[in-house]
Amino acid sequence: MQGRASPDVPGIAAATVFAIASQIIGAAFLYLILRVDGGWQVVGLLALLGLGFYLLERLPWIADYALASFARVPLVAMITAAVIVLAFPFFVGSNTYILHLLIVAELYAVLALALNFQLGSANIPNFATGASYGIGAYVSALLAINFGVSFWLTLPVAALAATLFGFIIGIPSMRTRDTYLALVTIAFGVVVQQLLNNFSWTGGPNGLVGIPAPSLFGHSFADPLVIFGWKLPSQANFYYLSAALVVVAIVTAHRLHGSRIGLAWNALRADEIAAKAQGINVAWFKVLAFAVDAFLAAFAGTIYAFYVSYISPDNFTFLVSVTIMTMVIVGGMDNIFGVIVGAFLLTILPEKLRAFADYRLLFFGVVIIGFLMIRPQGLFPQRMRRYGGEP
Amino acid sequence: MSALLKVENLTMRFGGLVALNDVSLSIDKGAVLAVIGPNGAGKSTLFNVVTGVYRPTSGRVTFDGAEITDRPSYEVVDRGIARTFQSSRLFSDLSVLDNVIIGMHTRTRTGVLTALFRPGASRREMAACVEKAETLLKLGSGDLFEQRYRPAGTLAQADRRRLEIARALASQPKLLLLDEPSVGMDDMETDALVADITRLRVQNPALSVILIEHDMRVVEAFPQHVTCIDYGSKIAEGDFAAVRAEPRVQEAYLGKAVAHA
Amino acid sequence: MAELLVQQLVNWITLGCIYALLAIGFSLIFGVLNVIHFSHGDVAMTAPFITLALAQALATALGASGPAWLVLAVPVAVLAVGLIGVLLDKVVIRRFRDAPAMMALVATVALGIVIRELIRHLYPQGSNPHAFPRLVSGMAFEISGVAISWFALLVVVLTVALVAMLFVFLRMTPLGLRIRAASEDRVVARMMGIRDARVFRATFFIASAIGAIAGLLFASYAGVTRFDFGVMAGLLGFSAAVIGGLGSMPGAILGGLIIAGIEVLAQTFVPDGASYRLVFVFLLVIAVLIFRPAGLLGRTVMEKV
Ligand SMILES: Nc1ncnc2c1ncn2[C@@H]1O[C@H](COP(=O)(O)OP(=O)(O)OP(=O)(O)O)[C@@H](O)[C@H]1O
Ligand SMILES: [Mg+2]
Repeated sequence: MQGRASPDVPGIAAATVFAIASQIIGAAFLYLILRVDGGWQVVGLLALLGLGFYLLERLPWIADYALASFARVPLVAMITAAVIVLAFPFFVGSNTYILHLLIVAELYAVLALALNFQLGSANIPNFATGASYGIGAYVSALLAINFGVSFWLTLPVAALAATLFGFIIGIPSMRTRDTYLALVTIAFGVVVQQLLNNFSWTGGPNGLVGIPAPSLFGHSFADPLVIFGWKLPSQANFYYLSAALVVVAIVTAHRLHGSRIGLAWNALRADEIAAKAQGINVAWFKVLAFAVDAFLAAFAGTIYAFYVSYISPDNFTFLVSVTIMTMVIVGGMDNIFGVIVGAFLLTILPEKLRAFADYRLLFFGVVIIGFLMIRPQGLFPQRMRRYGGEP
Repeated sequence: MSALLKVENLTMRFGGLVALNDVSLSIDKGAVLAVIGPNGAGKSTLFNVVTGVYRPTSGRVTFDGAEITDRPSYEVVDRGIARTFQSSRLFSDLSVLDNVIIGMHTRTRTGVLTALFRPGASRREMAACVEKAETLLKLGSGDLFEQRYRPAGTLAQADRRRLEIARALASQPKLLLLDEPSVGMDDMETDALVADITRLRVQNPALSVILIEHDMRVVEAFPQHVTCIDYGSKIAEGDFAAVRAEPRVQEAYLGKAVAHA
Repeated sequence: MAELLVQQLVNWITLGCIYALLAIGFSLIFGVLNVIHFSHGDVAMTAPFITLALAQALATALGASGPAWLVLAVPVAVLAVGLIGVLLDKVVIRRFRDAPAMMALVATVALGIVIRELIRHLYPQGSNPHAFPRLVSGMAFEISGVAISWFALLVVVLTVALVAMLFVFLRMTPLGLRIRAASEDRVVARMMGIRDARVFRATFFIASAIGAIAGLLFASYAGVTRFDFGVMAGLLGFSAAVIGGLGSMPGAILGGLIIAGIEVLAQTFVPDGASYRLVFVFLLVIAVLIFRPAGLLGRTVMEKV
């Protein structure tokens, strides 16, 4: 991490091979874990995963080499990733359950990236991401059901509504910190959930049903997707839509992280008084983190609502916020890749450990405590910024 | 010429404790003012009030023709006052380079929309910052530049002090407030620090510096303006020789018995 | 009208006392460790389950069910919960003493999940609500036509007694003084070597045992308990402690009374208020924190720079 001699810069050829091969191996692993059906196979794959993380920890140059390779041939890396994401449903075929898991994982990845702006970059506790997610879902569902507004129009409206909510929760953050701020976000989350539960126009505890499927250029998302004669189940529509949203979230996270804003967030995370002394309007940047979080979470909420076509307050509880938080912590705070891995792992693993289905929450609780005690930096710790292609 | 910074009748109370008692002082453009006084005299409190960390109980602070009493810290920095902290407050999990770049916060403009929709502009801004930061790191004594990718928290004590100064300079201040910059430095490092400050003033003659110091060798190097504070009150001011000769100053430093002996 | 008023007044005081007892635990632990023990409510709500399980075990072992076993089970449960608190501190919470506030918060939120899930899995039919008897029943006396129950009386007397005992303990005994010193000034406490294991053990034991009593009263008041009641109990107790000012005992009591007051007011005077009572409670929490970020009786400490 410090003062180390620059790692071997991989040659173009080696970097290309590495960037393609590593991503294919990763995708194959994901495919296998989605395919296998409980029992020893899952345990074996988990052991393999554990070994992988162990090696990464033991041999830090692997991560350095990987990053250097991707930085060397960014275009190749990106094209490979795009091809894998586009091709994945063709391998999954007609298994709608796997597609469903992937969609949920993608939406959680977006939520985790959203929360990461606060929890990771700025270390602001926020237990209201679930509420922003819910506001996004309800606003778009209400617009679609009551006014027949198209999905594509509800997206920005829901995002704006949630951003406004984010600003409102953010305002107390100007005056309160840590524990007190955590309570404020919890309070907001409870208020939103209770209101959704009690208003009649939100359907009360029964929620909203019959949210119409979106359509694009005359193709309804409720219909199977036919590409080059291949027929994919209707879930594939939402798989691609969610994947696009994940890309948007990654680009957003990446650009903010690399800019003056990401640095300002990191500064106030490290030392608020010192941050102020550098001219950072700490209150404003905190509010901003809340707003960005709510904005992205609302997108995820909208897609979720139209995907399942039925939402109720139970989908947006305090526990959802805690789940998202777990993903960020396990994956690695302030590490975009880590947060996505955290979201996928924690969506898919509990599903696969079906024998323990009833113990899922217990599993979450133990995992959080274990990580915070043993590895608080997460699977993929944050990395120092590097500038100008320097190693 | 009117003063760059003017502090008038500043009083700061913490409960019953009077940390600053009706203190007035001023500094001209391009000057160096050394503030001395025993432990707990209220020197750091003076900096904290001027930079908006504390709100004064009463009194006025004017900087560059505008009143900045009670203004928030970030605005004070924007107007041109940069500071270091006595117990250095670096962003310890960020790299040395990032620490300096964060120091340029008030001189950069990228907002969320620019960062998201005009990534080129944002990247160019960062590139310019990196270049400036590297120049700043090369400038001072020590080898901060070579350590620029280390987490600031792992630096040696003298380097931490240097990095604080580099970070403060990154905001292109008109007034630099240094709170005991030589703490934790050995003699050679202290000499290098004095040389650094001297060189800074040559390169930027308009820069004013207020220096809190316990190390009299540093004060001796900038002897024109010295102010001594004791128990929150200003007890002497003038050039170093005159202040040192004041009985009250000797009393404050050595205790009554010795001064009267 | 007067009857209704007196009835609601009794409700308010009963509920307020229960919340205050919960809040005291939060405040005590925060004062000493500077850590929020978010699962305190869940720890407290294990007490009714332990009591039920014990009473049942006694009944099957010795035959003849009856309230007698309950009376025996209650003190044992309170003791057991106190020890659970000490154990949680030893195994989990103390590791976060010097970590960023965020981490302790998230860890104890997770700890709460674990406690709830353990109750659910370990207690027979743990997912279902279980009836919990009134610890005492019957009417004690009448005020302007309203009968005051023994239970309400018990709650008030118990709260006053516990607060008084705590007060005496914190001010008169050497261990209590050390706890107070530790919560008043952490730096000084550390220098004086007060940061020893006994202070932490005692703090957790007392806070958890008082929480257990609150949990028993809570279940008794509601007449029923469920594995996840700890969430709300904890949230309301925590809110009470924060509104009053974390670390302040009088604040905790004040906070408990305020929160209970809002709840009772909402239920009595707002149409459909019962379903919106949490909305009112948490809007108040937000408002208090915006205008008094350190709570009503909390001291705002300016960080020394
Ligand atoms: N935030 C605060 N709350 C309470 N008292 C404070 C605070 N900040 C400073 N003080 C008190 O004000 C007095 C002056 O402190 P200050 O730090 O300004 O002294 P100083 O002259 O910088 O001393 P030193 O040479 O030790 O740095 C001290 O008694 C200190 O304890
Ligand atoms: Mg000082």
